[in-house]
Amino acid sequence: MQSIRGSTRLLQRHRFSISNTLRFTSSSTSCGSWSENESRRLGFDSFPCTRAATYLISSLKNVGFSSSAIPKQNFTYSSRCFSTTGDSVQGSPESDCVVPQRIKFKRLDKTAKHIMQIVDKEAVEEVRTLREIPEIKPGYIVQLKVEVPENKRRVSIVKGVVIARRNAGLNSTFRIRRLVAGVGVESMFPLYSPNLREIKVVDKKKVRRAKLYYLRDKVNALKKH
Amino acid sequence: MIQPQTYLNVADNSGARELMCIRIIGASNRRYAHIGDVIVSVIKEAIPNTPLERSEVIRAVIVRTCKELKRNNGTIIRYDDNAAVVIDQEGNPKGTRVFGAIPRELRQLNFTKIASLAPEVL
Repeated sequence: MQSIRGSTRLLQRHRFSISNTLRFTSSSTSCGSWSENESRRLGFDSFPCTRAATYLISSLKNVGFSSSAIPKQNFTYSSRCFSTTGDSVQGSPESDCVVPQRIKFKRLDKTAKHIMQIVDKEAVEEVRTLREIPEIKPGYIVQLKVEVPENKRRVSIVKGVVIARRNAGLNSTFRIRRLVAGVGVESMFPLYSPNLREIKVVDKKKVRRAKLYYLRDKVNALKKH
Repeated sequence: MIQPQTYLNVADNSGARELMCIRIIGASNRRYAHIGDVIVSVIKEAIPNTPLERSEVIRAVIVRTCKELKRNNGTIIRYDDNAAVVIDQEGNPKGTRVFGAIPRELRQLNFTKIASLAPEVL
């Protein structure tokens, strides 16, 4: 990675010097020896002959060849030197080393994130095929059947207003607010938890917010919204 | 997260109405108390003609907090107020009735009498 960045910076710095030097040398030198001369002049010897570096060198040469013919388009060509779309530069690479088709690959940490996304989606699909999970949005009045593992009974039908929903793949959660024995209680459940046996949407209220935390200050009966 | 100077409602019929936390029982210099912790508190407001009087120092166990209580299965419970139940030295409640919802964790912390008196165990 560093060599690519370094070489592109070098290219930008030598953009002006390229146009000057190549006008002198293009007439006299041939293809093969030109590349060596130019590489030496620009100090490409120090860089390892990676796939990307050779691609840059070949595109640089194409800059040189076209610069003598069309001097004005120098800068646009050289700025396309490090584009990721393959073979955007004109002309076939007439280089010494073989340049294979450029394969795009992500940085390792980006690849890891992408893999986690895929794994997450698969897990969600798995749970969705197992149980039917309706869409839950804030403002819905929802009735849940929650299983409590320690009691071994199908306890607690929980009925309340959904006041928030957080989307995080398999970890998506939603909050329910209800009145229990005179005390307001908010419970948060993971949407894909196996303890949620059944989710039923009883009613839908129109709200203009994603998070209904203002209901905490409202004292009137919560279910009436 | 109850700390000294916190006012708590009383969730039983022992005679007190409002308590102020003075100290948290447990390790020394313990900062916060959660559901199921015992606190030492002073009665700030009491119902007249009951055995408990104002400015009496008693112990209480916290049964409801505005701070969330996290459970192992990923669910979270959050009440709308802070409340406690007055207990004696052994851990038995002084009142005969308990009001409001009580979380299930009290039963595991050996406050079974309180949990059995509760109208709703969450």
